[in-house]
Amino acid sequence: MSGHPGRELVRFDGVTLTFPSAQGRDPVEVVRRLDLEVRAGEFVAVIGPSGCGKSTLLSLLAGYLTPTSGRVLFRGLPISCPGRERMMVFQQPALFPWLTTAENVAYGLKLKANRGNGRNIEETVAEMLRLVQLEGFARHYPSDLSGGMRQRLEIARALAVDPQVLLMDEPLAALDALTRRTMQREVLHIWEKTRKTILFVTHDIDEAVVMADRIVVMAQRPTFVLEVEDVGLPRPRLREDPEVGKVARRLSTLLE
Amino acid sequence: MRGLVLPRSAVRLIGPLTVLAAWELAARFGLVNTLLLPPPSKAFADLEVLVSSGYLWKALYASLFRVVCGFALAVSVGVSLGAAMARIRLVNDFFDPLVELLRPISPLALFPLAILWFGIGDGSKVFVIALAASFPVILNTFAGARSIDANLIRASRSLGASEIEIFKGIVLPASLPYIFTGVRLAWGISLIVIIAAEMIGATVGMGYMVLEAQQTFRTERVFAGIFVIGAIGFATDLGFRRLRQWLLPWYRETEN
Repeated sequence: MSGHPGRELVRFDGVTLTFPSAQGRDPVEVVRRLDLEVRAGEFVAVIGPSGCGKSTLLSLLAGYLTPTSGRVLFRGLPISCPGRERMMVFQQPALFPWLTTAENVAYGLKLKANRGNGRNIEETVAEMLRLVQLEGFARHYPSDLSGGMRQRLEIARALAVDPQVLLMDEPLAALDALTRRTMQREVLHIWEKTRKTILFVTHDIDEAVVMADRIVVMAQRPTFVLEVEDVGLPRPRLREDPEVGKVARRLSTLLE
Repeated sequence: MRGLVLPRSAVRLIGPLTVLAAWELAARFGLVNTLLLPPPSKAFADLEVLVSSGYLWKALYASLFRVVCGFALAVSVGVSLGAAMARIRLVNDFFDPLVELLRPISPLALFPLAILWFGIGDGSKVFVIALAASFPVILNTFAGARSIDANLIRASRSLGASEIEIFKGIVLPASLPYIFTGVRLAWGISLIVIIAAEMIGATVGMGYMVLEAQQTFRTERVFAGIFVIGAIGFATDLGFRRLRQWLLPWYRETEN
């Protein structure tokens, strides 16, 4: 399943990001001359030491941050603002607590910018809830859902507006070990069904090896791409597989 | 204690009823000076007189009219000012020192001035209530508008929301629980301020009624008035809590 022969979708072109000095502190260089390419349909995991700027990478791509120099290109065009073709899935789900499960999914579809794209809102919501297995919870509020369910709901809300890439910022980090393994399978299942490009930030090397086509290893801050690993193992993979263990060990020596 | 299961609301009546019974008995058996502490039965009997003579309704109407006017002013000014202060820096820099200077001043310290400006009638009471009750509304609205999870706004921007859609769809509903808390506090303050103000300078109202009863040494009427004031505070706060469950069904008190 690895190595989707898709076209180039995302390109980081010598990207540097420096946060300006504030209140007497020195300016902080977070990203230094980073190059990276992601092809359409790929599942790319991003790993690196904590605080290295993995999430910053996603924020640049989402359009929440603008590079100080260099360019972040999406389908060949520089990114200037957030947009529904690049949807973020946050570590702590950013669900709207005053909306029910179904209303959260419908929120994006009801916005002026997305109206009249020929998609039936009710049908899309039902389809998305089916995809993330929340059909029975349409009328529940996020506060009534478990951690794993909230994360699935956030994925459904993002997918509802039909993005081209999902930016997942340690989406499973807040879950318990058991839920986490289930969710890894869920995310892979969703990826295989929807064929969306996924950028998946994690601090768990095993998780990256089990899930991704390619793994981007980031350096300590100011970060750049240390290495890109083609996993190339057949799916489904288990973390107990010796082959998975071999790749994981090699990556962890890189990070030490 | 198997077999004897009372509903919780009934259990919660036991405390107040025990106090009333002990008080009644103490007064009946001459354990206390009934001129200073008449039995509650006498206070309730006087309450009947007040009701049938229509005097209670006159006093109650006068007080509640002032409270509602002052409270309504406080809420409308407080919400707009609090929201403007949270969103616009210049407004905040102008009003914040004024609010912080005025807030610690007892509203009753301004009451003599209010009488000079607005007369002994409704105007002076409405003024001090509006002033005193606006502070919790301003501060809570401000806190609500400032405490919105930045990721909620980011998520909604990614989904394609315009600035107006973000304000109406995110900022407003996210601040509502805070605004509601401020409004509830404002109502409580209004009830406290009106009684005190009417005791200082009024010709009709619940505060005036209680003070007049004290000056003519009708202690049972003092208590009758206090019972009514307490009952109104209790009932309206219950009403506010019900209203919140109805308006904000998604809100869980424990989470904030």
